Amino acid sequence: MKAARLGAIVAALVLAALVAVLIVSDGDVGVGARSPLLGQPAPAVSTTTIDDQPFALARRKGSWVVLNFFNSTCVPCIAEHPSLVEFARGESSRVDGVELYTVVNDDADDAVRDFFTSNGGDWPKLRDADGAIAVAFGVAKVPETWIIDPNGFVRLRIIGQLASGVLESQMTRLRETSES
Amino acid sequence: MSETTAQRRVPRRAAWLVIIVAAAALLVFGTVREGGPLTQQDRIDAVTKRIACPTCDGESVYVSRASAAESIRAEVARQVGDGVRTDDEIVAYVAERFGGQVLLVPRATGLDAVVWILPPLFTAVLLGALWMAFRRWRAPSVATATRRPLLVALALVVVVGVGGGVLVARQSGQRLPLETLTGGIEDSTASLLAQARLASGTDVASAIELYDRVLVTDPDNVEAITYRAWLVMLSARQFDDDLQRQAYGASVAAFGRALELEPSYVDALCFLGIVVFRDGGDAESSREFLTRCLAGAPPAEVKGLVESLLVEVEAALG
Repeated sequence: MKAARLGAIVAALVLAALVAVLIVSDGDVGVGARSPLLGQPAPAVSTTTIDDQPFALARRKGSWVVLNFFNSTCVPCIAEHPSLVEFARGESSRVDGVELYTVVNDDADDAVRDFFTSNGGDWPKLRDADGAIAVAFGVAKVPETWIIDPNGFVRLRIIGQLASGVLESQMTRLRETSES
Repeated sequence: MSETTAQRRVPRRAAWLVIIVAAAALLVFGTVREGGPLTQQDRIDAVTKRIACPTCDGESVYVSRASAAESIRAEVARQVGDGVRTDDEIVAYVAERFGGQVLLVPRATGLDAVVWILPPLFTAVLLGALWMAFRRWRAPSVATATRRPLLVALALVVVVGVGGGVLVARQSGQRLPLETLTGGIEDSTASLLAQARLASGTDVASAIELYDRVLVTDPDNVEAITYRAWLVMLSARQFDDDLQRQAYGASVAAFGRALELEPSYVDALCFLGIVVFRDGGDAESSREFLTRCLAGAPPAEVKGLVESLLVEVEAALG
């Protein structure tokens, strides 16, 4: 009898603990994906653009930076491109406009050039010939989009195709957070 | 044969048996033991065998031909070539980026540690059970003995099993970042620089201190040199002329040094232009520096400052 009562108490406690975990856990992660890099200084990225201009991520501190990992044959990358073009157009009119960079993942310079000529987008395209940037950010599949704040901290990771307006709304949210 | 001779032979036989078993065991151990890597490629292979391909099921990076696996292999090769990180640190670097699921060797901490602890525990329990069974067969009276020795034996078996498991886990389990000395110099520098930038808006003294810490380990870090000088100059503006003059001289020298180290570092050029005008009153030089700064596509924060100042400079020059 005593054992049965003890068992019931233990079961009730376990159930209460589970309910408490469900209540306090942050289940709604929004569009952002998890990464150990979130809230950490961005990895050092040093490369060249497909136009042979040098690029160092550490030298872009003072600007919001968006890195979009891309491949010209990847269907979601092609599908999200119009929203990136729209986003870049909106940011270009701001004083603190985002610097958008495409990180070319496993693709040829000419293929990327042809794609952007046909589909628009005049932002810099960074080479990642041996995948060092992808590994530094933990990118296994494209597309992926990362946002880095002006202090050089990684603020957001979005895995997969960007829906229209998502980057705009996330940037508004992040700017508000950093100003408050 | 006398009884004493027979009694003497038993330990001698036992000693020979122990020697033979030990020799055989050492021979087997020596034969099957894997030596350390002989070449860099051996190291790359050994490390990539410990990492799972993040985009494929059940394949290691060593085996997989997927694009992500090839990128990781290239990164491992690069880090092995650099010779800065140990094998554990390289695996930890990859796991830090892709998450713990890419570890083919489970961790020695948290829930993963159960993987290491359970086999020795089961082995100890099994051996204990066998020992108990043999004792019962040989002396049936043991079965009727009190329960206390049985509980003691059981506790002993569990302690030995868990202890063995913990030892195995410590020896073989994968160490993750922060569980080992994996923090590279570049990581800590990046972290200090990021903290300094964060502090510069609210606590200038702390920011300068953080830049100083960077310069201790990396005296040629142009970001630390430039931003430290900029903050020193800003702070000096609230003090007397003499101190401002000293700070001005030191800041201009620091910006010059940063540009000498990295001529394309546009932030130093921009700050030089600002300081030369605001604190040195030299509009002519300032215009040149500011124009070159804007041509170098400075970051948004600096660009805003420079654009508004350039209007003032042009006005001063008439």
